[in-house]
Amino acid sequence: MKWTLLVIVAVLALAASVVLGPAAVPLNELLRSDIVWNLRAPRALLAFLVGGSLGVAGASLQALVRNPLADPFLLGLSGGAGLGAVIAIALHLSGPWALPIAAFVGALAALGLVYRLGLIGGAALDPRILLLGGVAIGAFAAAITTAIVSLADAAELRNAFLWLWGGLSGASWDAVLVVALYAPIPLAVLLAASRPLDLLALGEEPARYLGADVEAVKRRVYLAASLLTAAAVAVSGVIGFVGLVVPHLARLTWGHRHRALLPAAFIGGGALLAIADTLARTVVAPRELPVGVVTALIGVPVFALLLRRWTIA
Amino acid sequence: MRRFLLSVLIVAGCHSTARQPDGPSARRIVSLLPSFTEILFAIGAGDRIVGRTTWCDYPPAALAIPSVGDGMPPNIEAVAARKPDLVVLYNSGPNVTAAKQLERIGIHTVLLDLNRLEDLGPAARTLGRLTGLEERAESLATAMDSLAARPRPPSTASLAFVVWDNPPIIIGTGSYLHQLAALAGARNVFGDVAAPSAQVSLETIAARDPQWIAVLSDSGATPAFAKRQEWRAVRAVRQGHFLLLKGSLFGRPGPRSGEAVKELKALLAR
Repeated sequence: MKWTLLVIVAVLALAASVVLGPAAVPLNELLRSDIVWNLRAPRALLAFLVGGSLGVAGASLQALVRNPLADPFLLGLSGGAGLGAVIAIALHLSGPWALPIAAFVGALAALGLVYRLGLIGGAALDPRILLLGGVAIGAFAAAITTAIVSLADAAELRNAFLWLWGGLSGASWDAVLVVALYAPIPLAVLLAASRPLDLLALGEEPARYLGADVEAVKRRVYLAASLLTAAAVAVSGVIGFVGLVVPHLARLTWGHRHRALLPAAFIGGGALLAIADTLARTVVAPRELPVGVVTALIGVPVFALLLRRWTIA
Repeated sequence: MRRFLLSVLIVAGCHSTARQPDGPSARRIVSLLPSFTEILFAIGAGDRIVGRTTWCDYPPAALAIPSVGDGMPPNIEAVAARKPDLVVLYNSGPNVTAAKQLERIGIHTVLLDLNRLEDLGPAARTLGRLTGLEERAESLATAMDSLAARPRPPSTASLAFVVWDNPPIIIGTGSYLHQLAALAGARNVFGDVAAPSAQVSLETIAARDPQWIAVLSDSGATPAFAKRQEWRAVRAVRQGHFLLLKGSLFGRPGPRSGEAVKELKALLAR
């Protein structure tokens, strides 16, 4: 029942984001319209894939660091991606994929640094150091970014920040294809780690006694969740809130078993971002809202409502 | 009472310090906006400018003046080091703070609005009064006023100004560029957006189907987004109908605004 409802919501969200938009496209021309086919459809699919990826990455990271505040972007990736994009603009790297690739490389560099910091003091990945290291590396990258933007005299550099918060405006079939080929690998790794993640939630010691290879699981989960987030930031910039709240929503409804929680977070995250992006494109048309504003505006009330029901029950 | 209110409004309108109209004319001026630099040169006060921003690249003689930085926000010490008796600033939040700091160390400042064509006349007159070059300033101001008031010709082409591609940001009616387009006989397809600029969806640009995509470009190269797959949904992009406008001529209202209109007309007639 819960699953049927979730899938129906997701299908409706995808359908709505293809049918609705600021440009008036008559229903009978829907399938032949260039706007629907080349702009709305890839954007809807990209929103779903990115939202789902962020949902799963958030759920896994929250289990890994055992902190309900963990968010996929907390671990320094957005700072690294922003720095990558700014460097690409400063170096006048051209080509349609220069910015996404540079942002991805920047996120990977931040990921590597944070990972290395997490291993300080031995081979065991320390979740607390991961969190602190992520925040520190993120702040450091943001400082370098700001320094470059304020010192360089290229006027377009100021727009690098716009790019980082650009949302799904750059959606294309190419981007959908790249994410659709890339995301399944880290997603499969995370799904395969469902059982150890359940155990990890009990604490590292109990998980070890119950037979989980705790160190290997932690590394695998951290890397897979970060690689998923790095791809998301490369194609759609930083989209807040989906990776923070969707996992909690899923946990409130599906419980703490990751085998059910992760797929629910994927479909729920995808549906939320597809709905949010549709609203962002339509409510103030012809203008457009940043999608992160909308994810927060719908996510928070829904979250508060569920939290209330959950604590009363 | 009404007269009192009016004078308050006038004082509030030009934000200038309590400089008397018959006070001494400014001899050492720091200009913190390319438009002001151009106006000062046009009214014959170019040789009194002792500091400019890195963006002040016209007329060529301006490049010989020492730069005090990019002016965003102004570097107070660099400005003060030029020992100016007048600093001209664009009226914006950070500049109001900067002007207060300059006033505190005894440097006269004037904050002027310069967002649209109709701001040019008043700006020229104020600068003329402060430099004692009222006559030349008045003739420039008259020309600028008549340009701003010139009846718009019927539009023969349509365009969209794209100032950033991801997210797409376009120019609305609140902007100077919209005025230039109207004077050149081009209809801005975002004439219903009142703000100077706004984020829109790519599909809105595609649906409004402008004949031209206008971009500010100093290199004269077609923008990188022209090659992006999603932008090819816009007909003008597919057809390569770009208007590449030089930022130093089109990006600022100034004495050369009439020239910008002429050039845009010529580009549209190609």
